[in-house]
Amino acid sequence: MNLYEWEAKKIFQEHGIPVPPSHRITRPEELRKVHLGYPLTLKVQVQSGGRGKAGGIQFAKDLKEGETKAAELLKMVINGSKTESLLIEPRLTIAKELYLSVTLDRSRGCAIFIASAEGGIEIESSKNVVTMPIPYPYHDFVGRDLAKQIGLTGNLLNKFADLANKLYKLFESKDLELAEVNPLIVTDGDEVLALDGKITICDDALGRHKCFAGWQETHMLDLSDREKRSKRAGLNLVELDGNIGILCNGAGLTMATMDLVKAFGGQPGNFLDAGGGSDTEKTLEALEIVHDNPKCDVILVNILGGITACDEVAQALTAFMKRHPERKLVVRLRGNNQDVAEKMLAESGLKLYPELETAVKEAVSQSKVPAGAAR
Amino acid sequence: MILVNKDTKVIVQGATGKMGSAHTKRMIAYGTKVVGGVTPGKGGSKIEGIPVFDTVKEAFQATGANTSVIFVPPYLALDAGSEALDAGAELIVLITEGIPPQDAAKLVAQVKAKGAELIGPNCPGIITPGECLIGILPGSIFKSGPVGMVSRSGTLTYEIALALTESGLGQSTCVGVGGDPIKGMGYEEALSLFKEDPKTEVIVLIGEIGGTAEEEAAAYIKANVKKPVVAYIAGQTAPPGKRMGHAGAIISGGKGTAQSKIEAFEKAGIKVAKTPSEVAKFVAEASKQVARA
Repeated sequence: MNLYEWEAKKIFQEHGIPVPPSHRITRPEELRKVHLGYPLTLKVQVQSGGRGKAGGIQFAKDLKEGETKAAELLKMVINGSKTESLLIEPRLTIAKELYLSVTLDRSRGCAIFIASAEGGIEIESSKNVVTMPIPYPYHDFVGRDLAKQIGLTGNLLNKFADLANKLYKLFESKDLELAEVNPLIVTDGDEVLALDGKITICDDALGRHKCFAGWQETHMLDLSDREKRSKRAGLNLVELDGNIGILCNGAGLTMATMDLVKAFGGQPGNFLDAGGGSDTEKTLEALEIVHDNPKCDVILVNILGGITACDEVAQALTAFMKRHPERKLVVRLRGNNQDVAEKMLAESGLKLYPELETAVKEAVSQSKVPAGAAR
Repeated sequence: MILVNKDTKVIVQGATGKMGSAHTKRMIAYGTKVVGGVTPGKGGSKIEGIPVFDTVKEAFQATGANTSVIFVPPYLALDAGSEALDAGAELIVLITEGIPPQDAAKLVAQVKAKGAELIGPNCPGIITPGECLIGILPGSIFKSGPVGMVSRSGTLTYEIALALTESGLGQSTCVGVGGDPIKGMGYEEALSLFKEDPKTEVIVLIGEIGGTAEEEAAAYIKANVKKPVVAYIAGQTAPPGKRMGHAGAIISGGKGTAQSKIEAFEKAGIKVAKTPSEVAKFVAEASKQVARA
């Protein structure tokens, strides 16, 4: 779950990481209540990256200009991400920009610091970036070591080290996937501040942090209704442009099925991984979500039951066919309790395809029948 | 065969839970030597005819096992894994899905320090067909033979194993290393074991989008593995920036694409199958060449 900048900064502040004074507004006229002095910086709050390039950060010299710009900014959509609010800050004079983040490195299998004495830019394309594996358990000298490695000295070395130590402790205590300060600035008054911040919370860890209870619901602004339903039901849905709805169990198998559909000339309308061990209720909701996609002409179900029981899936299919007898379904069902499932479905008249590639070809051919012709 | 065989003695952590008990039953039915279960507070009872202990230490001491398979809920998995390591586990198979990655990182650090092996988390487990099944794999799909398999996916492993078995190509051992970004054993460790295993003639590597593990594996194979390897990559048509089911299956910043992985394999002289059935076809061809040589 990606947090908005204003949320990240609030959390930074709670963990002793200094941030500029700020005010969040959701309507242009609220700017009148902001007393931070002009010129001001107005920043759209979106979950997408690329905000600066898209014009989502503007400056205002007075209230009049501020209100005009705020009205425009509040309507902005960046890379499909809607503006949730605006964060207003005084325009600061920057003496130096740095970069600092903590994330997990999958090939090393541990947390790492990424830091640079040149911040404010896209870190992927920057030179002079230091990547440092973080030892566990953690010690504060690690922050000083990092500051030294990016070439800092004197007072700034200590201030940066302190900030890095606090950022790591925040990362660990809140189960984050990413804690990023970009840029970390030194003002002309020698203050070190997090000018922009990004926090990604690990979805799997949300359940053990009471402070984030209910946050999942308030961070679904950019999701479609079907994506929201999937998230609530614990299903993995990715919407695609084609007309073949895909429902499988397991991420790899769902991807492979999607690839096969494309290889045989069909167009996947979605990727839906129902995960391992889905019961009747969850499978039925998955079917309904795929069914509700207006672009979907045929649903391809591919279940290879290891931890998932085929009879649970068969029950869901039976219930679904009763609700939507008109819906074209191509089903391949194998594995655990397959015989029971086959018996249950034989009564319903649904044809089963034991071979994956035959099933995919059938779904592709049904998807090419003009909409409505077979219904 | 690698890592597990007919003599491997296993204890099940979380044996009395819903998942744990169902799969304890299935593992025993397959013929795996499941010698004990561990559920704190239920020591002294029995499940599926095997004794349940309060601690892993007790279970290992009483049964002589040194392998543990873990079915506990996600937030208890780090503690369960640490307990197994402390008790002297040499191999841990961690099935649980949804473990926070920082917990996985902490467990991996301990596993490295102890020199033990960890398979998972979020994995289907490991099977040496006809001898030992540890985890949730459907045993009936596999049969004994010369093909070693390593995979990041569960159900896709079953799909490809099914294609192999139906083509008369059995497996030496299949390892599902799991779909999480932070995990124990990776391709390289599995490959290093398969290359030394006399029973394994051909190796199948099943990958998916996200990360650079497949690219690293391709380089490792080119430098170290003389046995033929057949690869398959899932997610060739996945859109960038979207997490495709697995926490680790995401193309980000242009990295982790199927294209990059396929190119890396092809550059290393490794055949990449486009469909599961093509994996079986390529393996059959490679087997014939091995037989001729």
